[in-house]
Amino acid sequence: MGRSKFTRRTLLRGVGVTMALPWLESLAGFGSVAAAVGTDAVVPGPFPKRFAVLFMGNGVNTENWWAKGSGAAMEFGKTLQPLEPVKSKINVISGLFNKEATGLGIHPPMTGNLLSGVPIQKGAIMHGGISMDQLLANRIGQDTAQASVVLACEQPLSGYHETNFSNAYGSHISWQSPDSPVPNEMFPSLAFDSLFENSGSLRNISVLDRVKERAERLRRQVSSTDKLKLDEYLSSVRDVEKDIERMRADKDKAEDRAKDKNRPLFSMKRPDNGLPEDLRDHTRVMCDIIALAFQTDKTRIASLILARDLSSLYYPFLDVRDGHHGASHNDSSDGYERIVRFHLSQLAYLAKRLDEMPEGEGTVLDNSCVMFMSNMWSGTKHDNRKVPIVTAGSLGGTLETGRVLDYYAAGNDNRKLCSLYLGLMDRMGVKLSRFGDADTRLKDL
Amino acid sequence: MKHGRFVPALLVPALLLAAADSPSARGADNARKGGTAGTMTVAQLDRQFESTARPFLQTYCVSCHSGAKPPADLDLGAFASTADVLKDGHRVRAVLDRLKAGEMPPRVAKAQPPADARRGAIEWFEAAHNYDIRRNAGDPGVVLARRLSNAEYDYTIRDLTGVDIRPTREFPIDPSNSAGFDNSGESLVMSPALLKKYLAAARDVASHMFLQPKGFSFAPHPMLSETDREKYYVQQIIDLYHRQNIDYADYFQAAWFFKHRVALGKPRATLADIATAQKVSPKYLNTVWTTLEGAKEDVGPAARLQAMWRELPAPSRNQPEAARPGAERMRDYVVQVRKKIEPRFWNLAAGKLDAREEPFLIWKDQQYATHRRSFDPDQLQVDGAVRPLKPERLLPEPGSQGQFGPGHTVLVTNTPGDPDLVVSAAQLARYEAAFARFASVFPDMFYMEERGRNYFDTTKDRGRYLSAGFHNMMGYFRDDLPLYELVLDGAQQKQLDALWFDLDFVANVSSRTYIQYYLFARDARALMEAGRPGGSQPPDEEITASATMAKLEAIYLTLGKGGSDVALQAVRDYFKWADTTIHAVEKARRDAEPSHLDALLDFAARAYRRPLTPDDKQELLAQYRSYRDKDGLDHEAAVRESLVGVLMSPELCYRVDLLDSAKAIRPLSDYELASRLSYFLWSSLPDKELLAHAAAGDLHRPRVLAAQSRRMLKDPRVRGLAVEFGGNWLDFRRFEDIASVDRTRFASFTNELRDAMFEEPARFLTDVFQTNRSVLDLLYATDTFVNPALAKHYGIPIAATQPNEWVHVPDATAYGRGGLLPMAAFLTKNAPGLRTSPVKRGNWVVRNMLGERIPPPPPVVPELPSDEAKLDLPLREMLARHRANPMCASCHARFDSFGLVFEGFGPVGERREKDLAGHAVDVAATFPGGKDAAGVAGLQQYIRERRQDNFLDNVFGRLLAYALGRSLITSDEATIQDMHAKLAATGYRFDSIIESIVTSRQFLYKRGQEDLAQR
Repeated sequence: MGRSKFTRRTLLRGVGVTMALPWLESLAGFGSVAAAVGTDAVVPGPFPKRFAVLFMGNGVNTENWWAKGSGAAMEFGKTLQPLEPVKSKINVISGLFNKEATGLGIHPPMTGNLLSGVPIQKGAIMHGGISMDQLLANRIGQDTAQASVVLACEQPLSGYHETNFSNAYGSHISWQSPDSPVPNEMFPSLAFDSLFENSGSLRNISVLDRVKERAERLRRQVSSTDKLKLDEYLSSVRDVEKDIERMRADKDKAEDRAKDKNRPLFSMKRPDNGLPEDLRDHTRVMCDIIALAFQTDKTRIASLILARDLSSLYYPFLDVRDGHHGASHNDSSDGYERIVRFHLSQLAYLAKRLDEMPEGEGTVLDNSCVMFMSNMWSGTKHDNRKVPIVTAGSLGGTLETGRVLDYYAAGNDNRKLCSLYLGLMDRMGVKLSRFGDADTRLKDL
Repeated sequence: MKHGRFVPALLVPALLLAAADSPSARGADNARKGGTAGTMTVAQLDRQFESTARPFLQTYCVSCHSGAKPPADLDLGAFASTADVLKDGHRVRAVLDRLKAGEMPPRVAKAQPPADARRGAIEWFEAAHNYDIRRNAGDPGVVLARRLSNAEYDYTIRDLTGVDIRPTREFPIDPSNSAGFDNSGESLVMSPALLKKYLAAARDVASHMFLQPKGFSFAPHPMLSETDREKYYVQQIIDLYHRQNIDYADYFQAAWFFKHRVALGKPRATLADIATAQKVSPKYLNTVWTTLEGAKEDVGPAARLQAMWRELPAPSRNQPEAARPGAERMRDYVVQVRKKIEPRFWNLAAGKLDAREEPFLIWKDQQYATHRRSFDPDQLQVDGAVRPLKPERLLPEPGSQGQFGPGHTVLVTNTPGDPDLVVSAAQLARYEAAFARFASVFPDMFYMEERGRNYFDTTKDRGRYLSAGFHNMMGYFRDDLPLYELVLDGAQQKQLDALWFDLDFVANVSSRTYIQYYLFARDARALMEAGRPGGSQPPDEEITASATMAKLEAIYLTLGKGGSDVALQAVRDYFKWADTTIHAVEKARRDAEPSHLDALLDFAARAYRRPLTPDDKQELLAQYRSYRDKDGLDHEAAVRESLVGVLMSPELCYRVDLLDSAKAIRPLSDYELASRLSYFLWSSLPDKELLAHAAAGDLHRPRVLAAQSRRMLKDPRVRGLAVEFGGNWLDFRRFEDIASVDRTRFASFTNELRDAMFEEPARFLTDVFQTNRSVLDLLYATDTFVNPALAKHYGIPIAATQPNEWVHVPDATAYGRGGLLPMAAFLTKNAPGLRTSPVKRGNWVVRNMLGERIPPPPPVVPELPSDEAKLDLPLREMLARHRANPMCASCHARFDSFGLVFEGFGPVGERREKDLAGHAVDVAATFPGGKDAAGVAGLQQYIRERRQDNFLDNVFGRLLAYALGRSLITSDEATIQDMHAKLAATGYRFDSIIESIVTSRQFLYKRGQEDLAQR
C-alpha cells in the first residue's frame, strides 16, 4: 500500500558508495564514448546539456531580492548573496509572468501551469498541459537511465484549495501529460536507487529469469518445429536480459577504470531509507543526487520542489515560528527573508557542486542550466504579475551569463515565461514554434 | 490498382480458383463432387504420367522451371514420377491452376501447347490432386505454436482483468499470413524489441491492479497513486447513487398505476412488478403506497398529499400517462413543503479553535446527515406566529468569506401565515407528529453527492464529490442515509457499504485525511513538534500512532478550553473516530493479504487457461516471498511484481495449447480444445464455462462442442470473430488508418464517419453470427446497421442522435444499402481518393467474395488519371479502351464489370447520379459469360444464379484457415467439399458452418513430432 514505501527496497541496502564518473569513463555515448570505455583515447564529443528546475512556492521577500551590475561586478540584495561565489555563471531574471496563471485566484492556479503556460481546469478532474521539463524529457531522455528525475522535499497536498482547484496543482510542477503530474519522489534513497542501482532493471531480470525457466521447460517437451517458435521467445528473453546486464556491467567497468586511475571522484553514499529528519539534510541530499545524476549522465532533466505551494514546512533552525505558508503572508519579515535565502542557497549549492565537476575544458555547470523560481513575487499580496527567477549555467556557452535582466517594462507580450522556456528548449536542442502561450523567444536572452 | 506480388495458389482457399476462369464454373463443380474425370488409381496415375504429363512438362515447362532458382520456386524438372509429384502436394495445385487459367506457359513463350495436350495435362494433374485430397483427408497439418496476435493479446487482457486496457497500442502491427489472417505461427514472430514492449505492457497492465479486502481487481486507469484510487471509488459510489430513481413523481405515478392495474391491463401485477416496470425502487414504492393508501391523515402535509392523490384521474382505456401531471403536482408540493421545514445546524467553535477545524465540520456534517428525515418544528407557525431566530444560527459559515460564499448559514425563512405551516396551538402535538411522519417518508435530500466549499452554496465551487467540506483539505463524508434506509434493498445496501469501506481500504482515505489535518494544524502542530529540530515533517506512521493522536487530542482540548460541552465532545469524538478507523483499516489490510495470494493463483490459472500444477503454485508463491524477503518489496508491490511475471509467462503470451507434445497424431486435450475454441470464436481466452467442461472432460464430445460453440456465437465476445476474421477477410481491419480520402473535397468524411464506416461491417457480421443467420445474408441481406453519422451519409432518416447509438435498418434497399456489398467502408477503401475505381472494387468482389485469384498485372500498365473531375471520358469508357488491349483484357474482363456496377457510389461510398466530372453514371455491366446486369441488385442476381458456390467455397475455406490458424492444405479440401454437401440443408446457417469446422478432424487433432519428422 502507498505508505509502506517507507520500508521498501531494502534490497539495495548496503550497496554503499556510488561514485560520480566523469563523462569519459561513463558509458553512454556523447561523441564516441564506446571507444573511451575500451581504450584510453580521449574523444571530446559534444557534451550533453542538462536542465534542472528548483521550485519554492509562496513568493520571496521582495525587498531583499535584487541584483545589479554584471559579471564580476554584480551586486546582490541580502537574499541573493549566497550566489556570490558563482555570480559570473548566473543570470538574475525579473519581470516575467505567466498570463494563464493570473486572475483565477490564489495559490494552486498560480502553480499548476507554471511550467506549461496553458489554462488549467477546476474541480474534480485535473487538466492542464505537459510541463517544459517533461517535454524535454520526452524528447531527449531516451539515452539515459531515466528520462527525468522529479524530486520533492515536501509531501504533496491533496484535496482542493478554496479556489476549487485541486491542491495537486500546487504540489507538482512536472506534468507528464495534461491530466497527470509526475509523482514526486520524496525519499532520497529511492531516488538514488532508481538512478544509480537500476532497481527497475534488476526487477526485470528477475521476471525474465522466471519466464525463461518456464519456456525452457515447455521447450523440452516439444517437436523441433515448435522448438523454433519457443526459441524465438527464449532468445528474445535472453537478448533483453543481456542488454540489461551489459548496461550494468559497463557501469561497473567504468567505475573500476575510474578507480584505477585514482581520479578525484565526487562520491556519494547511498542515502538511508526513510525521510531525513532535518530539512537541511533533505534539500542537500536531493541536490547531491541531481549533481551526481547530471555528472554521470543518468538523466539530463531534473525538477526539485524545495517547498511546495501552500507549504507547511517549519524552520525552527531559522528561528521562525510560523510554517512556510503562514510566514509568507508577512513576506517582508526578516524570518521570511531567511526562509527564502535558505532555499535560494540550495541553488547556489547545486551550482557550485556542478561547477566543481570538470567536463572537457569546462565544468558540468557550463553544460547545464539550473533554474530557481517561485510561483509568485509577493506572498503577502499573492501577487504573481511577475515571478522571481535565477538561472545558473550557460548550456554549453549558448546562454550568456553574469547578467541581470528585467523584462517588466517590456510589455506583456514580451515578458512571457513560455518565451523564456522556448529559448531554453532551443538551447537544449528542442526547437518548437510554440509552447504554452508563447510563439516568440525572449528578447536578448 | 495496386499490383500485388505473386500469390501462391495454395494459399487462396479451395477449388473456386479454377472455377473463376470458366464462367460456367463447371470445373469447380466437378472437382467438388469428386469429379469422375479426375478419379484414378496410383497405377493409372503412373501410366498417364509417363504418357501425358511428363512429356508436357518437358516440352513446355522445364526450360524455365528448373535449376537452382526456378521461377516461382517451382522446379518441375524434379517431377520424375507420380510419387515425386505427390511429395509436393500443394505444388500440384499450383500447376493445375496455372494450366487451367491459361496463364502458363506464358503467352510470350514460343512453344504453345495445342489444346488437347493442355487438356490432357490438366486431366492428369486434376486426377493427381484428387488422389492427394483423398489420401490426406483429415490431416490436421502443421499448426505452429505461436504468440498471441496483438488483437488476441488485447482481448485476452480484457477478459482476464475485466477492463479494456489495450496494452498493444504501441506494438508494431502484426503481419498476416498468406491466407490473409494475422493469427498463425507463419507470421507471428517474437523479437527482443517486441519482448521489451511486452514487458512494458505487462507492467502497464499490472499498474491497473488494486488490492481489495478480498482479492484484487483492475481499474480502467492506473491505480498506483492514491488520487487515482480515490477517483475510482468516488465515481463508483456516485454511479450507484445515480442509478437510483429518486423522483417522487415517478413513485406517485407507479402507485397510481398499481391502483388502476386492472384498468391498465395488468390485473395480476404486484406492487413489486409495477415498481420494476416503472423503474422505481420496490422498497420505497411500498413506503409511498402505504403513505398514500394507508391510515388516513387528518392534518399536516400528508393529509394534503392524500387529498391530491385521491384527485388523480382514473384511467380510461389505455392511458398510462393520465396521472403524470397530477403526480408531478404532488412531487412539487412535497418538495415545496420540505424546503420550508428543513433543519439547520449552527457552527461550532471553542476557545482558540475556530469553526474550520475538522472535528467541528464533521460534527456539522453529521447533524445534517442524521436529520434528513426530520423537520424543524420551529418553522411551524403556531396560530400564525413566526418563532424568533436563534442567535447562534448567525455564526459565520467557516471559510466562506468574500467570493467563496454567502458567509453564513442560509436560513430557512418562511412567509408569515403560510398555510402549509400554520397550525393551531391546541393541536400542536398532533401536527408535529403528522409533520414528523411526512418528513420521515420524504427526506429533504436522499444523498449529498457534491459539496462546494461552503456547506450551502454548491453553485460556485462544484466538483468536490462526496466531500466533507473541509477548508483546504480533501476529506470525504458519507451522507446518504435516506437513500440507504428508504430506497436501497439489502443487496444494494451491502454494495454501497462495501464501496465506502473500499474507498478507505484502497485509497487510504481516513489516514491521509488525518495526516493532512495534522500537517495543516498550525498552532497545534507547532506544539507537537516543539523540540524537533529539523523542521521536516514526521513520518506518516508517527503521525497516525495512537499515542501521537492522544497527544494531539490533549493539545486540542487545551486550545478549545472554554468551549461548549458539545464542541469539546466533538473534538473527542473526532479523535476517537480517527484512531479507530485508521487502525481498523490498517488491520484489514494486513488481514487481507492471504486472499490476495489466492487471487494471484486464480489469476494465473485463468491466464494459463488450465489448472495450476502444484509446481506452478509453489513457484508463484516462492517468487512472491522472495520479492518480499529478498528484495524488500511491500505486499502490494510484491503482488504486482508477481503479476508481471504471470503476464510475461509463455503460457499467457503463447498459444501453448498448440504445442505438439506427443509423438504421433493425437486428439487435443479438453483444455487445449477450450483454448482453440475460444481463440477461434472470441479471439480471447476460454471462459469459466468452457474450462468447466474441460475439467469435466466432456468438451470434445460432439454434442457438447456444438452446444458450446452455439453459446459462444451468441456471446458479445463473438465480435472478436467479426473484427479479426471479418476485418482480415474483407480488408477493413485497419480502416481507421485510411489516408486516401481527400478531406478538402469530401468534407463530410470526418473521423466520426470513418469510424462509423468501420463499425458497420463489424456490427453486421456480429449480428449474422449472434442471431445465426445464413452466410448468404452477407451478400443478399436487405438490412444493415447505422449510427447518426452513417445514416446521414446514407440519407437514411433515423431518430438516434448519439454517435454510439446504432440502429438496425431492416430494409435499407431504398437507400441503396443492405448486406456487405454496398457498405461505405469497402467502397471507400477501394477508391483511390478523387475518383472511383471499378478495377479495385471489382477486384475486391472477385477476390474477397468469390475467392478468385487474379494474377499480378504486367509491370507496365497505364495509370488512370487520379482526379475524376478532370476526366474527359467517363471512367467506364477509359476502362473499355484499356480492355481493347488483349493483354489487359484477359484479366480486366474478369473483374472490371464487378466494379462498374458500383459506379452509383462515389469515392467515399456516397450515392450519386453524376460523377465528379458531371457525367451521368452508368451502372450497367456485362459479367463474364455474357450476362448483362445493372447495379448492386444485378450483381447479387448474377452471383445467386451463377457464382454462389464460389462464394460459399470461399467463405468455408477462409473460415477454416482462420479456425486452424494456418494456410489451407490439401487435406482441407475434402472438409470443404463435405461442408458444401452437408450445409445446403441448413440454408448455410452460421452455426452449422461453425459446427462443421469445430467437429472436423483438423480442428480436434494435432500432429505429433513423428508426423512432422516424416514430412
